[in-house]
Amino acid sequence: MTRCTTQPAKKILSLTLAIAITLGATVTATGCARSVDPHTGMKTSSINDPLEPVNRAVFTFNNALDIVLIEPVAYVYSTFVPPFAQTGIRNFMRNLRSPFLVANSLLQGNINGAGVATARFLINTTAGIGGLVDVAGMNGLAYQQEDLGQTLAVWGMGDGFYLVLPVIGPSSARDIIGTTAEAYGDPLRIWTHKTGRDWVYYTRNAVEGLDNRAQLLDAIADLRRNSLDYYAAVRSAYAQKRRALIHNENPDAPTTPVIPDYDE
Amino acid sequence: MLNRLALIAFSCLLFITAPAGAADTASAMAFVQSLGDTALSSLTDKSLPPKAREDRTRNLLRKYFDIKTIGRFALGTHWKTATSAEQSEYMGLFEDMIVSTYASRFGEYSGQSLEVGKSRPIGKRDFIVNSKILQTDGPPVNVDWQVRHKNGKLKVIDVQVENVSMLITQRNEFAAVIQRNGGEVSSLLETLRKRKGG
Repeated sequence: MTRCTTQPAKKILSLTLAIAITLGATVTATGCARSVDPHTGMKTSSINDPLEPVNRAVFTFNNALDIVLIEPVAYVYSTFVPPFAQTGIRNFMRNLRSPFLVANSLLQGNINGAGVATARFLINTTAGIGGLVDVAGMNGLAYQQEDLGQTLAVWGMGDGFYLVLPVIGPSSARDIIGTTAEAYGDPLRIWTHKTGRDWVYYTRNAVEGLDNRAQLLDAIADLRRNSLDYYAAVRSAYAQKRRALIHNENPDAPTTPVIPDYDE
Repeated sequence: MLNRLALIAFSCLLFITAPAGAADTASAMAFVQSLGDTALSSLTDKSLPPKAREDRTRNLLRKYFDIKTIGRFALGTHWKTATSAEQSEYMGLFEDMIVSTYASRFGEYSGQSLEVGKSRPIGKRDFIVNSKILQTDGPPVNVDWQVRHKNGKLKVIDVQVENVSMLITQRNEFAAVIQRNGGEVSSLLETLRKRKGG
């Protein structure tokens, strides 16, 4: 984080914490991808991780923090908040992200995606009661996650290297640039900061992070229990998920491995 | 004229015989549906003793999955550096690992169902079958199956859950274990043995 920012330490700290909670242990939220052989389109097994020893240490710390704090909170949220309320919160949070979805779609030259994101915002903000109900989604306008890291990837920037950030979790050199720039350009952050309502911004990030983590309760528990090398499993899953997002989860994108025939 | 008749007859013959050995997207979809239904009906019974669940999982795995291809791909380039004794031990341990992992997963399942979506051919004889696992207590989970048509049979060679390939993840993980232990395949076998024991 400090690599990319020159802002006062306090600001960085609070921002880091905010994004941290947002992405805490979120394997799927942001990060690094595209370790793909350009000729075969095959995902290769090598993920550029020159800082592996440091990353592993940070990962261990994050994992401990997740176990003692983040996971229990996410569990309570997931268990005791009624499902319809959780869905409403998720819809509301996604709707708040609309400016980013539209902007990044446009920056990626994805006019159709920008149109869908705009339509979703207009429909859900009005008919969907301020974004609580995903009316657009029910009518075939599906949510598509976009962020600046994906845009940079579409523009041809590689992942750089894999990086595990304290509290925030998996990322990559490229995606840190995206995450940081987006945070600073976030209209909600700028507005709440100007009007002395910073807590709104941090609450938004915290709730978003909580929702993300709650959705991954089973997946992460399973990975923890069943993986031989949890760090390597998360790194791999993260790279793959990022790659799928960059391709807008297009099922025809060359994201499937080319698996040879061995007995011939 | 005769030649032409022969040609027509020959093409008719081709036309009739061809579909018998070939697979199409519809059969790949039916295959995945059958796998999902069988797994969810026979493995999720809560009263099943763990040993019985593992046996059933193993049978299902052998019937529906190309475990040889999966195991070899998961070991990656290390397959070639392994001795033949290591290779065969690895295959056994790999199967055991998959069986115990999936048996315990299915033991926790309840109320899920599999809904097969679209299918499309990929490469020479593979199909991708899209499906969703519908749950009573959460949003549907996207699962894509890579199915290969081989020796007249369909077999699963990869499963992608929400765009994360189990095969790639396994391969990366095995590579990490081996790399962290001096590049020795024996270290992976040791890890797998320990896991089985513990």
